[in-house]
Amino acid sequence: MSNSYSDSIPLNASSQSDIDEIENLINASVQSGPATVLPARPLSPPRASIPVSTSPFIQSNIPPPPPLSSSSSNQKVPYVPDAPTPPPPVGNSSSILATGFGPTPNTLTEPVWDTVKRDLSRIVSNLKLVVFPNPFREDPGKALRDWDLWGPFFFVVFLGLMLSWSASVKKSEVFAVAFALLAAGAVILTLNVLLLGGHIIFFQSLSLLGYCLFPLDIGALICMLKDNVLVKLIVVCVTLAWSLWAAYPFISSAVNLRRKALALYPVFLMYVSVGFLIIAID
Amino acid sequence: MEQSSYSNLATTHLLGSVPAVLNEEKKASYEVPGANMQIFPPSNGGGGYQTLGAPTEVFEQQPPNNWKGVFSISSYTQYFNVDTDVVINRLISSFYPIGGDFFSKIDANPDLYGLIWITTTLVFVLASFGNCATYLTQKHSDSSTSWSFDVSYVNVAACGVYGYAVVVPMAFYFLLRYLGSNASLIRFWCMWGYSLSIFIPTALILLIPVEILRWIIILIAGTASACFVALNLRSYIEGNDLPMMVVASFLLQMALAIFIKVWFFP
Repeated sequence: MSNSYSDSIPLNASSQSDIDEIENLINASVQSGPATVLPARPLSPPRASIPVSTSPFIQSNIPPPPPLSSSSSNQKVPYVPDAPTPPPPVGNSSSILATGFGPTPNTLTEPVWDTVKRDLSRIVSNLKLVVFPNPFREDPGKALRDWDLWGPFFFVVFLGLMLSWSASVKKSEVFAVAFALLAAGAVILTLNVLLLGGHIIFFQSLSLLGYCLFPLDIGALICMLKDNVLVKLIVVCVTLAWSLWAAYPFISSAVNLRRKALALYPVFLMYVSVGFLIIAID
Repeated sequence: MEQSSYSNLATTHLLGSVPAVLNEEKKASYEVPGANMQIFPPSNGGGGYQTLGAPTEVFEQQPPNNWKGVFSISSYTQYFNVDTDVVINRLISSFYPIGGDFFSKIDANPDLYGLIWITTTLVFVLASFGNCATYLTQKHSDSSTSWSFDVSYVNVAACGVYGYAVVVPMAFYFLLRYLGSNASLIRFWCMWGYSLSIFIPTALILLIPVEILRWIIILIAGTASACFVALNLRSYIEGNDLPMMVVASFLLQMALAIFIKVWFFP
């Protein structure tokens, strides 16, 4: 590994540049960014001293651009880290990001807030595509092309938590039942469509069924705050209809016309049972 | 490939040029049907020549089985090859206990769709209506009780219904195989699955909080379902040498009905 080499022996210039090349390739393969071809780099300049990189192997032996904060220059000084360190300090990232000549943006070195913001914006955009009326809903392939599983996970856990908080007894069992019902239900529903000979992508369908829970999440929140049976009934009916309306085009377009009802019925069953749980948990 | 770029060139006006052959790829994939390899000169067992046997043998009389392994979805799609009208037809025929022809109806194309979704619907219905019925019963006797949702009904319903629907047909299958009769597990699962469909509307009617009425309703439904199972099983076994099996299936179905009444609709 390059770490052990750079720790002990001063290398000559060509070996160091080879190591840089390899680390560049590793960087490029690890990142989830757009696939760009790495520009052909000239040999990295020979160095007087070899920096000791003691953090995980994706460490910047790459020559950093001139304006550097002092924290990153400390990395060049050999020191023993206190722990297996997470990605290098925050101040480094903005200067390393694509200079057109250097490496592609490294999602491991970017600020955490950037990562979270990117995922959040993807969740919001998927939500807008699936749950709210928009012109792309007619074409399922286009609608949820950028599927993710974070959104469904949040919605399922949120629903389980709402139900668990609403329950007066056996709270943990309620959460377990709700979570198991939704998670296993999504998988089984997708398998059902596949077994009926439909054409659907497994994870895209999981993602979709999770996003269609969003109206029921809102319903559960309202029901938790307002404990009147009649209000609960009306709210759950409205949100249930909304969820079914959101899920309908995707499922019905995936199967043969003669089997549409067979594919839609289990979706209906699952959402109705979740709606019943919301009403019934007191 | 290269052909496409060459075909764009206008070369026909050039003397001696040959136009590129188009659609070469299509022809390459054309398969000659029924190619029999024979070594010339064909000799019938004489000399040192061997003629290869005709490759187009008659296949065995097994129905085409697309089993591609346990973890491949396409090997299970053969059990879900039904349309909506077929499922509804089978569902309605399961409501008629006298008939005994269910197996002949599903013989060509047994499906597991009915088993899975009828049992799941039954679990949900029992859990939800069971809670409602329990509440109504308590309200009937003591009008100050408040609604409480017992989530253990879901667990018990799931274990009970899924366990019954999976284990009982398997037990009958193995028993019949052991006794020499020719049984098919998928058809058993299919039939038992559809036999449970009577209990779904029954659960709705069982909401009425009058005890004697509940017993009458469940006995009627249980008898209908059990007759369905027993008569179909008898016509499948096609012999009176196993009356115990038929009686056992009847009793098991009745036991399930009584369990439903006692646990979910007290």
